[in-house]
This record gives sequence, C-alpha cells and structure tokens, in this order.
Amino acid sequence: MARKYYHDDPKWSDVAPLPQEDYGHHPLAAIAYTEEYSEAMGYLRACMAANEHSERVLELTEHIIGLNPAHYTVWLYRAQTLSALNSDLRAEIAWLNPTALQHLKNYQIWHHRQTIIDKLGSPDGEPAFITAMLDQDSKNYHVWSYRQWLVKRFDMFDGRELKWTEGMIDDDVRNNSAWNHRWFLVFGGTVGEGEKVERDVVVRELEYAQDAIRKAPQNQSPWNYLRGVIRRSGLPLSALQHFALEFADPENRPDDDVFSSHALDLLADIYAAAGKTELAVKALDLLATRYDPIRKTYWEYRKGLLEAEGRKEETGAASAAAVETAAA
Amino acid sequence: MASAQAVPVDEGANLEYAKHIRYWRRNLKTFLPHHYTGNDSMRMTLAFFILSAEDILGDLDGALSPEEREGFIEWVYACQLPNGCFRPSPATDFGSSRNDDNAIWDPAHVPGTFFALLILILLGDDLAQVKRPEILAWLTKLQRPDGSFGETIGVNGRIEGGNDTRFGYMVTGIRWILRGTVEGPIDGIPDINVDQFVRCIQASETYDGGISEAAFHEAHAGFASCAINALYLVDRLPLAAHQTPDNKIRGLTNLPQTLHWLAARQTLTIDEEDAFDTRGDETDSAATCHDAHSFVKLKSYPSATGEQAVRTQPTSHFELQWIGVNGRCNKIGDTCYAYWVGAPLKVLGHLDLLDKKAIRRWLLDKTQHIVGGFGKVPGAPPDIYHAYLGLVILAIFGEAGLKNVDAALCISNRAIRHLESLAWRKSIVG
Repeated sequence: MARKYYHDDPKWSDVAPLPQEDYGHHPLAAIAYTEEYSEAMGYLRACMAANEHSERVLELTEHIIGLNPAHYTVWLYRAQTLSALNSDLRAEIAWLNPTALQHLKNYQIWHHRQTIIDKLGSPDGEPAFITAMLDQDSKNYHVWSYRQWLVKRFDMFDGRELKWTEGMIDDDVRNNSAWNHRWFLVFGGTVGEGEKVERDVVVRELEYAQDAIRKAPQNQSPWNYLRGVIRRSGLPLSALQHFALEFADPENRPDDDVFSSHALDLLADIYAAAGKTELAVKALDLLATRYDPIRKTYWEYRKGLLEAEGRKEETGAASAAAVETAAA
Repeated sequence: MASAQAVPVDEGANLEYAKHIRYWRRNLKTFLPHHYTGNDSMRMTLAFFILSAEDILGDLDGALSPEEREGFIEWVYACQLPNGCFRPSPATDFGSSRNDDNAIWDPAHVPGTFFALLILILLGDDLAQVKRPEILAWLTKLQRPDGSFGETIGVNGRIEGGNDTRFGYMVTGIRWILRGTVEGPIDGIPDINVDQFVRCIQASETYDGGISEAAFHEAHAGFASCAINALYLVDRLPLAAHQTPDNKIRGLTNLPQTLHWLAARQTLTIDEEDAFDTRGDETDSAATCHDAHSFVKLKSYPSATGEQAVRTQPTSHFELQWIGVNGRCNKIGDTCYAYWVGAPLKVLGHLDLLDKKAIRRWLLDKTQHIVGGFGKVPGAPPDIYHAYLGLVILAIFGEAGLKNVDAALCISNRAIRHLESLAWRKSIVG
C-alpha cells in the first residue's frame, strides 16, 4: 500500500497534529515507529481531542487500523463517528471484510463487526464471510466466537446451522472448534441450563460422536463430546462401556489390542465407578506405559487416587468389622 | 506460594543465560523494531515483560542505573490519569488538550493499570503515589451484571472490551495488590461482587473440563489460566479435603475433569508439519496422531498412505524427549501455552501432572532462539510475549539460576515480598 501523509494534504491543513509525549529520557518499550505511523497518530490525537466526527476521520481511522489494528480506542472512536455521521453500515461491512482477512488474529475487529451487524439487524452475508475466514484458518477462535454471537442474536438455532457444522466436522474431524459449536447448538440454545434434554436428542448426539470416533478412534474431540453428553443428560458413564470396549478391553483382549488411548481412559473411570479397581489400574498402567506415555505422571496420579480410595475403604471395612465384633 | 520443585538435571538442554540477558537488555535499552507497532497501545504490558524478565534472570540491578530506575518509575507515573488509574501507553495522551469531553478516548485501562502496578512493585516503588481508593472504586464500575469485567468505560458509561476472563484476572490482580483477599468494603471503599464473578467463571466451564472466554465457547488454556489464577487471587478455588467448608461459592465445579483437560494439553504435535498431518487425514497413526503417540492400532486402513504411515511408525519412545503444550484440543504446541497450562496447575498444587523434563527440553531445544528469547514454535523468531512466558514457565519449573516466581501474578516472589512488606498494605491485609 502506498504511504500516506497529512502535512501536505490541503484537506488537513486546518489541523495541528498532537505529537506523542513520551515522558522524559526513559520511556519504556518505545517503538521505532515509521514516520507514516507517527504522523497519522499525531492527527488522530488532534481529532480525538477535538471530538471531531467527520468523513476524513473515517479515512484517518481506516489508515491507522491498517497500521495498528489492535489500537483499542481507534475502533471505538470509529464506531462513534459512524454513528454520528449516520454512515452507510453496509459500506462499513464491505470495508471490514478484506480488512479482517488481512488481520486474521485481530480481536477488536470482531467487536466492531458485532456492533455494526447488531445495528443493521440482519445476518445477511455473514455466514458466507465466516466461511471465507475459516478457509484461512478453520480453528480461528474469534471467528467461532462471532459465529456463536450471530446464531444467538438472530436465533439461527435451526437445522441449517447444524448441517453447516457437520460439514465443518466432515472437512476435519479433529476440528475441536466445530465440535464445540455443535455442543453450543444442541445444548446452548433452546434447551435451558439444567433442563432435561429429550431422549432422541441424546441418542442422536451419542451416535454422532460414536460414528466420528469409529472414523478416527484416536481423535480426542468426539470422546470429550461423548462424555459431555453423558454428563449433561445425567446418564451413568457405564452407558458407554459397551462402546468403549470396541477399542480396548483390558479384561478380555491382549494388551497390544488397543485402538484408542481415550477408550482406556474412559474404561478406567467406568471400572473405578463399578469398584473394579484392579481393571481400572490395569487400564491406567497401559496408558502410562504404552498408549499415552506423554501423560505418564497424570495416569500415575489417577492410579494413586484409586489406591488411596482403596486404602480408605479397607480401613472403613476393618473398623466396621471391629464394631460388629464388639457388638457381638 | 511454596517454591517450585526443581526439575531433574538434564545434561542435554541448556538455558542460554547470556543470550537471554542480551536479548532482554536490547529490548530494555533500545527502540523496539517497528513491527511492534501493532502493540503500540499496550506498551505497559511489553514494559512489564521486559523488566520482569530481567528480574527473573537476576539482571535487573546490573542492567539499571539508579537514574534509569527512577526514570522508568517516572514514566509509569506519567501514564497515571487524573482519576488515579493508568493508560497503557502514551499513544492516547492529549497532553494539555485533555478535557472531560475527550477523556473517553484516553480512558483508564485495566491491563494498563495492572501492569503499571506490577512494574512499580518490581522496581521497588512504595506505591505511595498510587491512588488506591480511586482505583478500587473504579474496579466496581467495570463489573457487568453477569459478573464479568470489561477493559475500559466508554461512551455513555458503556463497559467496553470482551467479557472474557482476561480482564477478570487483571481486575482481581489489581484488587489483590491493593487490598489482598479481604472481602467487603474497606474504609468506605466498596468491593467488587466476588460471588457473581465466581458464577461467571463457572458458566464458562466447558463440557470437556476446560474453561472458555464465555459460556459455550471453546475451552482455551489462556482463558482457563486467567480464570483459575483469578479464583486464586480472590481465594475462591475449591477447598482441599482437609479444609473446613466455609459455604462460599467456589469456582471449578469439576476439578478432576479440569485437571484431565489441563494434562491433555501436552502434545507431540510441535511443528507445522505435524499439525498439517493431523488435518483432514482419516488415519490415526504414529505419523498422523501425535497426541496419542505411535502405539494405537487401526482396525483397517482407509488408504494406502494410511497403511504406510502405520507400518513405518517409530517403535521407540524417542519422540518423547520433547513434549509441547497446546492451548486447545487438537492444536499445535506453542511456547506461551506452557505457561498458560503450567501456571494454573501450579496454583492448583498439581504441577507434577506435567512432564516437566520433556517440556523443558522442548522449550530449550526447539523454541529457544539462537539470539536469545523464545519463539512461538520451532524456528520462529523470538518475540517479547513468547520469550517472557517461556522464561516464566522454566522459573516455575525451578530452573537453576532463575528467580522463583509467583505463578498467578507472573512476577518474582522477591517482588511480591517487597509488596507485602509495604506498611499501608500490611495494615489492610495483616
């Protein structure tokens, strides 16, 4: 982009820029600004100080956003200017689209977009724009957060949104952002917090996650999802035992016959809840030594908890026996 | 906080002290290159990272003349606004043109105030010029009805900034610095609504045990760390079994699940190539599923490439020498997440759930840069943010030669002791 200056621009001749004050001889984290940025900021300070809201302020803020999109007040100042001028907000969105694509990691831009779309009162064009953003980075946190806002603001909790999310999961079954979006659609919309989830929804969600696991058994996203559904619907974890045994069976199958570390993890919990401590310990041992040694210390910690639990029970049983003996 | 347990001595990997010191002195003494322009409105944050890195490396006294130290303190106080809070950078200062009408474009700023206080503490200032009552009263105005906190107060008194846990963390950090964990009004200064803040964090807990920026958003280690550190700073972490219940609302409704999620952030996906392999591939093999390691069998092979990948999988634990840390499920390791995952585990008393030795090796062998500092991923140039958090997590792990740090406030324990020694603070906290 060509450099832009203001000192020789007749449109700005009435403005005296406010240079940056850097407080003495020991500024901290001073940046070697380009002349272009320094000058533009001087004009921005002058405009802000005068509370000027004009077309040229829109141009100036656009210029500065291009150089420093994380400047938090420049966005607020621009929003206020748009509102004061009663500007065409569709034009603002048309400008924001390429700007967002240029600054994928920027955070402020999404807040601004939200303000504009909220005022426009329509999500038209937004899903297509989001798709363009996700093509660049399919796990962009800001984009997914914005999508949630859009769905809530315009009540898009319908089959189409779920279908789109399934498409994202089909593209990349390990896209945890897409899994999370599905969770939001199913459990964060029409179903209230703590409200009972309909049985057919629970069945549908369990089957969906299970199918995805069969496709890529070592992918943690659907395993987390599966556990989440079980907890949210109040079912016991043991409802997943049959499924988990497809991928590992420390009781009946050889130790090298394991298809997913996450199945062992789940089975360890199921066995522990059922009081089958030995099997739980075996599953955790397999994880620590063979199937997930990255987390060795974590699996050993879990084993330690089981052993401590076991000791407590033994002590409990012993004192109960003592009481009975005494009573007899 | 108790001092960290040292990691076992590892002959292979070394922290290049001299290079790190050179890197940080350069950041301290010379202009930052212009590509930091995108951080122009958060210079206070960069300044804190620079000075605190020097402190942790034990180079602060050596690097600063008394005149420089005074000059830096003056610079921070020059960022103080008439209402007692701080701006994060001189970039919005209108000088003598400042008035009530334009003050909203140069607002009191949460990160600006938090990092200004931390810098003053680590430079040994007594905070006598800090306007405690004004700052504490301002914190209460930043809180929204849902319990979350914003970053600034804007047009028509609107609370601006995301409602994620970052600002909640910094607000509770400011509160801890200025009044410890004492709850309720002090000398007529109101307190934030701690209960409502804890409820807000509970609402951000996710189905997989992580914590996100807001209810139903994706679990993210940065937000999880801010939330857990904030709960620590307001003394609302879950009570341990031996502690007496106090009927207070406490955060983390499912601690075992949260520990599971934090431990799961350790990954063998540590460079772009690994990350590319895990995308869109239908196989789970040594080559494609780095989080599982190599020992998982497939029922069938969806493609010839998939089969090849499994057949050629490494059979040793060689790769386990280096373990990275990611911020979200199925993402690549990144230096900063070693801190964002390590800090909450430290605060929760479970740092041992991480493989400190292998994470240390990853940082030192893979993301430590030849000129000093750390980059985000192997081969990336160092930047102030990653270089600082890489150093801090090594200090939390107990790296020899680095100062002990307070994991929650991300500053040396030496600096914390200085704060705790100040008479005004003792009179509040006891």
